[in-house]
Amino acid sequence: MSTDEPTHSTEHHGHEHHEVEGPGYPTPAAMRTESGREKTAYVMAPRVGMANDGPDFVGVVDIDPESDTYSELIDTVNMPNKGDELHHFGWNACSSSCHAEGLSRQYLVVPGQRSSRIHIIDAEDPRNPEMVKVIEPEEIFEHDLSAPHTVHCVPGGKVVISMLGDSEGELPGGFLQLDQDDFSIDGHWEADRGEMEMNYDYWYQPRHDVLISSEWAAPNTYYPGFDLEDVEAGNYGDSIHIWTWEDREHVQTLNFGEAGQIPLEVRMSHNPEETQGYVGAALSSNIIRFYEEDDGAWDWDVVIDEEAREHEDWDMPVPPLITDIVLSLDDQYLFFSNWLHGDVRMYDVSDSANPRLVDQIWAGGLFSARQEVQGEPIRGAPQMLQLSRDGRRLYWTTSLFSSWDNQFFPELAEEGSLMLKADVFPDEGRMELDEEFLVDFGDAPGGPARAHEIRWPGGDCTSDVWQ
Amino acid sequence: MSATDEAAHAVELRWPDGRVETIRVGSGETVVDAAEATGVAIPYGCLYGACGTCTAELLDGEIRHLKPVRALKERALDAGYVLPCIATPETDCRLRIGHEIQAEVLGTPWK
Repeated sequence: MSTDEPTHSTEHHGHEHHEVEGPGYPTPAAMRTESGREKTAYVMAPRVGMANDGPDFVGVVDIDPESDTYSELIDTVNMPNKGDELHHFGWNACSSSCHAEGLSRQYLVVPGQRSSRIHIIDAEDPRNPEMVKVIEPEEIFEHDLSAPHTVHCVPGGKVVISMLGDSEGELPGGFLQLDQDDFSIDGHWEADRGEMEMNYDYWYQPRHDVLISSEWAAPNTYYPGFDLEDVEAGNYGDSIHIWTWEDREHVQTLNFGEAGQIPLEVRMSHNPEETQGYVGAALSSNIIRFYEEDDGAWDWDVVIDEEAREHEDWDMPVPPLITDIVLSLDDQYLFFSNWLHGDVRMYDVSDSANPRLVDQIWAGGLFSARQEVQGEPIRGAPQMLQLSRDGRRLYWTTSLFSSWDNQFFPELAEEGSLMLKADVFPDEGRMELDEEFLVDFGDAPGGPARAHEIRWPGGDCTSDVWQ
Repeated sequence: MSATDEAAHAVELRWPDGRVETIRVGSGETVVDAAEATGVAIPYGCLYGACGTCTAELLDGEIRHLKPVRALKERALDAGYVLPCIATPETDCRLRIGHEIQAEVLGTPWK
């Protein structure tokens, strides 16, 4: 059974609490082993800040190797406005709603990072998604929020979106809650923001009554581009925040200081029994493990520490810049991208506090010997990652954020970015670039685009939470 | 001629590839709104002065920002950069336009 289908019957699972039909899988292992190979990818494709003009789009990429159009961009859903900067996106429902009858993983919630506009796309037919609703920026600003980022479906028929700024692009941010039925705005998710000001990504685990959020900066700091003066002025984040899931209250700040500057993507273990996870600190280029202690407080350790590197054309040593991390559904492997250096790394995290580097692929960036695939120059470097449910294929795109792209890899603005793939061999602890696979967003209909976050119709390694 | 036309100023938009377009921008109207209305494509993002996607260089003339300029620091403003999404001309103007100007303002860190 392919999870390209938006709903699935529960009878395949024989799982005791599955008396009602829900939109997900009862366990991470069920999703990993029963879902079938991904056949379609949705890819965010912004055109903001590009040489050519046009709206952003959601790209539909054929990743079914049996298909004649394998490794091609086969459809696009154009946004009704320009300037959105599509970035991250999510579903109306996932495995967190496993017990919710009548819900299906059907609607994509697609925010514009710059515009603060939120689009709802009906993906009931995975190969023919259609725009069904647009929430205009003014409706978001009314709640004194802006800059929507991470979208998670959550139990109780809701969708929660991390918001990075207030209605003027300043701090503090917060969380916006939508209703799953009609995507109307409920208001703020959080009841007490405490000392939290900056926001970025978040993960949650109702079984342990926790939500964990990270920090980028105020929109008016990171939107215009990356300025080291802002880092020196303390305008970028260096902490993560612990919230109670049930009461929606901020309860603890884990301050990393120099060891964890710009902590971005948060990935908790998929296994709902676990009380730990990882966050990638982009600027410090560290992976930090956070975990709950016996007394219920959370603590952290740097478990992977990368070094900046001298480059003959640059004045100062260049940090790797860890911009995305992903954890396999069996919680055995952690992958992350070094967007400036140009590599993707694979770590064995079966001993969760002691990650072990097992493989690395170089493709683009400042230090890679491989600068082209199929004769096409690799514009940008490994950035947003998505892993197949079975952990055997890793896909990535090469653009980070329009204004930052334009500072570090300006060719992305002229020619668009790429989607690449590696075959992963979890049993052997290694991976290989698949040079047969290349989706060039420079050839997108209507002109080049930047490719960003990737998801599969049936759920993926960053979409679902199991209670 | 309507009152708006009488109050309008000519804004010359100059791209790095040599292309030049001149649009009329009404009093209190933003350069981005006027460009969009005329079908001239110029870069923009947030439309409220926070994101800097539309950053342009004022070559000649006077321009007034209608909202706080959050996307540009003092030194960028002093150097003549403006945000067409929240800016209206006070006189006839010439603007250097292009997607790459945003990055030019900050340069490339570490390089």
